[in-house]
Amino acid sequence: MGREVSESCVDSLLTELVSTYSTRFYANKPDLAAHSIEAIGYQVGLQLSERYTMDRPRFSDHLEAIKFICKDFWSELFKKQIDNLKTNHRGTFVLQDSRFRWLSRVSIDPSENGDVSEDNPAGVAENKASLVTKMHLNFPCGIIRGALSNLGIPCAVSADISNLPACSFVVRIKV
Amino acid sequence: MIVCVAVVGHQNNPLYIESFTDADDALKLHHIVHCSLDVVDEQVNNPKKSGPTLNETFLGLLYPTENYKVYGYFTNTKVKFILVTTDLDVRDTDVRNFFRRFHAAYVDAVSNPFHVPGKKITSKTFEKG
Repeated sequence: MGREVSESCVDSLLTELVSTYSTRFYANKPDLAAHSIEAIGYQVGLQLSERYTMDRPRFSDHLEAIKFICKDFWSELFKKQIDNLKTNHRGTFVLQDSRFRWLSRVSIDPSENGDVSEDNPAGVAENKASLVTKMHLNFPCGIIRGALSNLGIPCAVSADISNLPACSFVVRIKV
Repeated sequence: MIVCVAVVGHQNNPLYIESFTDADDALKLHHIVHCSLDVVDEQVNNPKKSGPTLNETFLGLLYPTENYKVYGYFTNTKVKFILVTTDLDVRDTDVRNFFRRFHAAYVDAVSNPFHVPGKKITSKTFEKG
């Protein structure tokens, strides 16, 4: 019996969470803000993985656990699977989602860009947009890290947004 | 009758242990639970013997003692559930059902946002379930 959560509520919650941490609590320390948001995601991932792995047989290796994240875990979260999974077979996995739901509605407040320098306004705005987007990605990164560490795989997760709205998560398993 | 249940974390740290007897044998039951952890480790690390039940969460009968039967359950998240019962003719399906409900209760307990992972479980609802 699955319980449903309104998608727009989650979207708004994430936006508000990111803006609260990055402009109110730790306005001058983006690293600290990123870390806090990631830590919240970590706990969410920990608890979600506990629930979603309940009726499954145990995973025999890392690849199986990553596949679980790509398929079942992602469908529970985003109603779709990861589109592409790459690995170098040495503990690095790249999970690519060609249309990441939580980034599909991110936009930048244009009034904040009023003081951009005259010579290269587009570049600065773009740079700022990518910073804000990166901040939003700390949360899903934390979720993946939390889920994997609860399955017994300590790892580091980072995100790459070179071509939006596609988004890839890089998982490096600590040996 | 079920005399003792326990939840043990991934570093073999006890998360929850409760015995349901009137007599003063809690220590003995805890001892049985601790001993059974070795059997769990053995089964999980050498799964050759299990054959068809490979990688199943339910580990089955860990070992029978004179008065008790000890059953084990090992989740994907490396958490172990131990059940000690005095019934000598228990059906496997009943134990499976018990563990499934126990696991559901555990998941509900740790999904509490105020629960700190790795700490002892203090939920009242969990005790009832």
